[in-house]
Amino acid sequence: MTLWLVVQGIVFHAAAPRKAFSSMLGWFAPTIPLYLVLYWVTPANLGVLSDGFVGVDWRLGLLNGLTIHVLLFLTAGLFYSHADRSITVRLLIELSRAPRQRLTLAQMQERCGVEVLMQDRLDIMVRNGFLASRGSRLVLTPKGWIGGSVGLVARRVFRMKAL
Amino acid sequence: MRGLVLAAGAFALLVLASAVVLRVYPGNKEFKVFLGAFVGSVVLYAGGFWLLPADLGFIPPAWQESSPAVDLGNGLLILVLVFHGYWCFAYFSCLSPSMSVMVALRQRGSGGMTESEALAIQGSDEPVNLIFRRRLPKLLKGGYVSEEDGAYRLLARGERVASLGSFLKRLINAQVGA
Repeated sequence: MTLWLVVQGIVFHAAAPRKAFSSMLGWFAPTIPLYLVLYWVTPANLGVLSDGFVGVDWRLGLLNGLTIHVLLFLTAGLFYSHADRSITVRLLIELSRAPRQRLTLAQMQERCGVEVLMQDRLDIMVRNGFLASRGSRLVLTPKGWIGGSVGLVARRVFRMKAL
Repeated sequence: MRGLVLAAGAFALLVLASAVVLRVYPGNKEFKVFLGAFVGSVVLYAGGFWLLPADLGFIPPAWQESSPAVDLGNGLLILVLVFHGYWCFAYFSCLSPSMSVMVALRQRGSGGMTESEALAIQGSDEPVNLIFRRRLPKLLKGGYVSEEDGAYRLLARGERVASLGSFLKRLINAQVGA
């Protein structure tokens, strides 16, 4: 995980990939076989762990480590999403950069209002294959249809309100 | 293994409890529901770990961790990571502007929508769109910004979040103003 974080950090700064999540997934994928190989070739106590930290059954240890490895990757993906996409953080950053750190509602809507934000989001969704442009209209791709279906079910379950 | 089983059980209850409470919760501070459910699940997890037998009545000896502390910590770590993912999933599914577009398109069928229709989902034709109507009151109430003379001013608390946000964006090489 640490190795992946370092490599991904370098990739973000050196290549600035347009499809960030694809890049993260692409660089994370090889760490799975790497983990399996390391699990195979290293001693159960890694030469440093006490007996209490060494699992009784190697299969459980393998599965447990893999689960945590994947969960940490997903958490890192969410961290990226928070940092890159959070609307609230963007609002606060715009305020911090404004003269005397003050903005009227109209100025805020101009700098990071729904037009600016939604245009960004629509571009990202088209670029990532969730939407496709058909003439002047946007339509769902099969990937977007799955995403929309998941969202539809989740909204029926959670019933969180926009306001 | 005991920690993993109990964490899975506690998480299932967390999902059930939060989904039920969100259906009747009248406010818009849903994070309180999620945090409350999480605290409840941690208490249940720890209580189950303390009270139930080491094999939970069905775990074979070969699958029992030799150190209860490691077992407890491992299960708790997984519960925390899965909860964070669940929380983000729920917020993204229900409140994300991107998801709103996909859900609206999914409901419309194959006809699709224009960009202006996508903007209208977020209230672009209203004086104050949905994005601001949801967030500004929370920023005001939370002491991140103040409203004075028809403008919003950043407060010290908001400035700290903005600095952290800028730092994180630089860390991932994202555009600071995006």
